[in-house]
Order: sequence, then C-alpha cells, then structure tokens
Amino acid sequence: MTAAASTSGSAAPRRGRGFLAPTILPGFGTAFGFTLFYLCLIVLIPLGHMVLVAAGVGWTKFWAITLAPRVLHAFYISFGCALVAALVNAVFGLIVAWVLVRYRFPGRRIIDAMVDLPFALPTSVAGIALTAIYAPNGWVGAFAKAAGFKIAFTPIGIVIALVFVGLPFIVRTVEPVLQDLDAEVEEAAASLGATRWQTFTKVLLPAILPALLTGIALAFARGVGEYGSVIFIAGNIPAVSEIVPLLIVARLEQYDYAGATVIATAMLGLSFLMLLGINFLQRWTRSRHAR
Amino acid sequence: MAIEIRNVEKTFGAFTALGGVSLDVRSGELLALLGPSGSGKTTLLRIIAGLDHADAGEVSFDGQDTRDRAARDRQVGFVFQHYALFRHMTVFDNVAFGLRVKRKAERPAEMDIRRRVDQLLTMVQLSHLATRYPSQLSGGQRQRVALARALAIEPKVLLLDEPFGALDAKVRKDLRKWLRHLHDDMNITSIFVTHDQEEALELADRVVVMNHGQIIQVGTPTEVYDTPADSFVFDFLGGVNRLNGVVDRGVARLDGHPVRVDGEVGAEGPALIYVRPHQVELGVAPADGVPEGKWSARVSMVHAAGPVARVELDLAGRALEAQLSRDRLSDLALEVGSWCTVDFRHARVFPAKA
Repeated sequence: MTAAASTSGSAAPRRGRGFLAPTILPGFGTAFGFTLFYLCLIVLIPLGHMVLVAAGVGWTKFWAITLAPRVLHAFYISFGCALVAALVNAVFGLIVAWVLVRYRFPGRRIIDAMVDLPFALPTSVAGIALTAIYAPNGWVGAFAKAAGFKIAFTPIGIVIALVFVGLPFIVRTVEPVLQDLDAEVEEAAASLGATRWQTFTKVLLPAILPALLTGIALAFARGVGEYGSVIFIAGNIPAVSEIVPLLIVARLEQYDYAGATVIATAMLGLSFLMLLGINFLQRWTRSRHAR
Repeated sequence: MAIEIRNVEKTFGAFTALGGVSLDVRSGELLALLGPSGSGKTTLLRIIAGLDHADAGEVSFDGQDTRDRAARDRQVGFVFQHYALFRHMTVFDNVAFGLRVKRKAERPAEMDIRRRVDQLLTMVQLSHLATRYPSQLSGGQRQRVALARALAIEPKVLLLDEPFGALDAKVRKDLRKWLRHLHDDMNITSIFVTHDQEEALELADRVVVMNHGQIIQVGTPTEVYDTPADSFVFDFLGGVNRLNGVVDRGVARLDGHPVRVDGEVGAEGPALIYVRPHQVELGVAPADGVPEGKWSARVSMVHAAGPVARVELDLAGRALEAQLSRDRLSDLALEVGSWCTVDFRHARVFPAKA
C-alpha cells in the first residue's frame, strides 16, 4: 500500500501520462487491484498484525524475550544450520546437476526423479525416515556412535534434515543454466591452455554463479522455515538442538502469545534482512556479466 | 609447423566420420578442408586440435606424435564456428585468457599481458571495444575477438571451424580478405574448414576435398577446379551441367554428336557428361538448319544482371545452363524462345552410376 502511494506520488510531475506506461493489454485496473488485494490478504495483513501485536509488548520486553539465551541459541541453530545446509547443497547439488546434465547413463531418469522427492514428500515423513537411520540405534547412527559422536538429536542431524529438503532447490535452479552452457566454451578454454580446474573456476563457475546463488537463497529460506523434518531428528534439547519455529510452538502451547509473536517478528526481520542481502549479492554478480 | 596425418580413423557409433585419412600439411600454408556436411572435415580438425581422439592412426607435429598431448599442451589456436567466447568476460579479458592461465613460470607479467592484448586488439581492429562484453558485439566483431584470443597464445597452428559460416555475405567477403592478409603477415600454418567452395578456392593455398570420411583430392585451387579427380569434386566445386550421353568405341557422344573430352573417356556404355556453364558456347543458329557437329537449343530464360549473363536452355528436353559475357549476349541477341547452336569447349565424362 505504501508502495502504491509512493509510486503515484513520484508520477505526479509527469502529469498526463498516468502512472503506467501505455499498454495494449486490457484489464490492468482489475488485475492490479486483484493482485494488491490478494497480497494484502495473504501476506501483508497477517504479518502486519503480527508486528503490531509484538510491538504491543514494548521495547524492553521485546528485547528481553529475544535476547534470552535460549532464544538466541535457537536463532543461532536455525540460521546457522540452514546456512551450512545450503552451502553443503551448493557443492553437492551442483555436482548432481552436472552429472544429470552432462552424462547419459542408464537410470538417469530415476536419479532425476529422486531429486524431486524432497519436494513431494511430507516433511514429517522425511523426518521419521532420517531419524530412523541416524539415531544411535539406526544404521548410520550406530557407526557414528562407534566413532564416538552422535548425529541425531544434535545440530548435525538438523543440518542433514535441511540438506535433504534443500537439495532440489539447488539442482533445479542450476540445471537449466548448465544445460544452456555450450561444451564449446570448455573446449575453447582447454585449447587456450587452461587446466580443468581453471576452466571450472574461471569459465564455468562465473557463468553458473547467479543461478547458484538463487538456489542457495531458496534452499536457505526453506531451511530457516523448515519444521516437520527437523523436530524428529533434532531431539529439541533446549540450547543444543532447538530451532526457532519449535520455540514459537512451545511458547504457544504455554499460552504465551506475546512471547511467540515477539520471537516470530524477530525471525521475520532476520529472514527479510537475509533475503535482502542475497538479492544484492545476486544483482552484483549479474551486473558483472549477463549483459 | 608441419603436420602429418596418417590413416586416421574415427567412428561415432555406426557412423564412420573418418575412414583412414592421410594428409601432409606444409609449414606455413593456408589449407582448406572442403566438403559437404558429414564429410568428416570438422572431425579431422578437432582431432588435430586434440578435442577429439582418433580411434586409429596418428597425427604428428613436426615429426612428433601427439597421441599423449592433451589439447591444452598442443599450442593450437582453435576458432570455433560459434566463437565460444566467454560471456562473462570483456573483450580484453577474453583475449588475455590464454596468457593468464599459463603456469606461473611461463606467465608473462600483467603489464606484458596488457601490451600483448592491446597489440592483438589493434591488429583485429577492435581496440576501441576492449571493455565491451561479447553480447554487445556484432557477429563479425565476435569472430575477430575469437581469432585474437586464439592468436594470443602464439599458436604453432591455427585451426578455424567454418570461420565465416554464421556471417552475412558482405562481412564474410571482407573478413576473408582480411584473414588472407593476416595469414601472409604471420606466416602461421593454418587450416580452415568450410563447405563453401568459393571460400576455399579464393582463400586457400591448397584445398582438400572430402566426402564420406575420405579425402578425395588435394591440390591448389586451380588444380582441383580444372582437373577434378572425380564427378563428386567436379560437382562440388561449382555449377555444372550433367548430361546423359554414351561412350561408343572410345568416343563420347551426346545425341549422336561426338563431344570433345578432357582426359579419359572411360568405360563403354552409358556415361555422364559434365560441362561447366562457362564452357558452353552459344552461336547464332543459321536459317537453313544446324551445322554439322553442333547441337541446337531453345532459350527458356535469360538472367542478365551483373557482369556475367546466365542463359537457361532447353537442349532436346534437357535443362542446360550457359554463362557468357553481357557483350556476347547482346551480339547473339538471344531472348526467351529463340534458337541457338550449342557447343562445349571442355567437358569431362564420368561413368553413369547404375
């Protein structure tokens, strides 16, 4: 709403042209009105209301709730694990995308379909499946136990769950760009004397980077918001493996609505900042080439 | 650098791209690999560059076998048909790439790289576009960037895959001339692939005509044009009239009249008589019938634009094309529907395929 107001305001000096360039597509008024209404209903009003409620508790209480050690640690776990998972996926998702694009092998279609599985699966199903494997009495968890560390019920478990849900975001954003890259460009680099590694870092990676960043942003955002798959494998031990969404639910179950909203608002702010940062990073890389 | 190619074979699945090809490329020459698509010319070029591996046979540079030398160690400049420029780099960085990826010990100082790239960009007349990105250039400019990039590593051999294929006719002609001058200045062994016979004949020192993974003929443009090895080469190197005739007791005949033939007449029986349009001689048909030993034809179309006129004729039901000067055309006063006599200055006879 503020956006609409400022747009019409800035258009005022250019009177006579209206605030929209002439177009032959009919129905702008209706479509634009619907878009605004829809966004308000779904996004702006609920979030705005939440911020309002959070503001109602006052600054001191707001900071007291947010900066409580348990809450801070939950933020640290949520954003930290999501970031680590997104970065892990950036490396391995890139390899998966590469293999799917560049090689033709039996079973390629099956692997291709498997990548989408985390999209389709209810996340709680993923959580149960992962916990069964990585818990100390599970297949992989038993090995880890023998080696002297735990996977499930620690941040490592959370990272694994987030890697699982984030994988398709990286693969599916990088894949089309890789497909678009000509093999001739790599051959050109080779004939100019570049090693494989130089070809990758100087020729391929810069070309994929914007898409890769988009994939990382999507996987990261998904990881921060993930709930279903994490709560099983995390074990939810306060100040060890507790994530912010769980903390919010916990507050709600204790009928502490103010506390829950405050944490939620802080989370909203942080997510927004992260998204903004990644967007700027993307614009920067894009301005450096895709001209 | 001289290149020897010995019995090189390459198959892709069931398709034989090269079936035992041998060729000597002389040091410093500009060689054209000419053939229709699928003739194996690009595959041969890629094998020389090390971008493809031969199934059998060997390629050696100045007597040294290249089997174990990867593309990056061959010092071969390769210009791709679609340029393959690095999109995210400026023109300058594209050209500098080959110098910047050298091993530390061999890498020139950044200042020397700068000087060398500036020099190359001046040579390809693009120094004013050094900071542009490839997408901001025209096709001809991209082609020249690709060339400068390939030349930056001071290659021993320059390989060009259909270098002018994606350009429009005017730019193509200019670049062709320019490349010839460049080659003469740099004196670097160069091989280019083309399916355009005019380009090959005009530009190259020697032309290698290929078809179906085989080398059919190697020679100077004059040699391959004047004495083609077989009907394919004759056909491929320019416009041709193909007439069904017959070889009878060592004499080629068309409609009963003997045809003057260069070279072998070949086996007895049905034969194809090949005549280039400019070897067809037209004359005024006398009112009292056609002179002995000549054919008569009816004019079905006259194209008189440009320095050379093309006349389409109907020779006893066969289409025949003749080329003659505009002066000669007005002397003969030919127009659609008129009759004229036909003779062949030079013709070649090849056995008719069953």
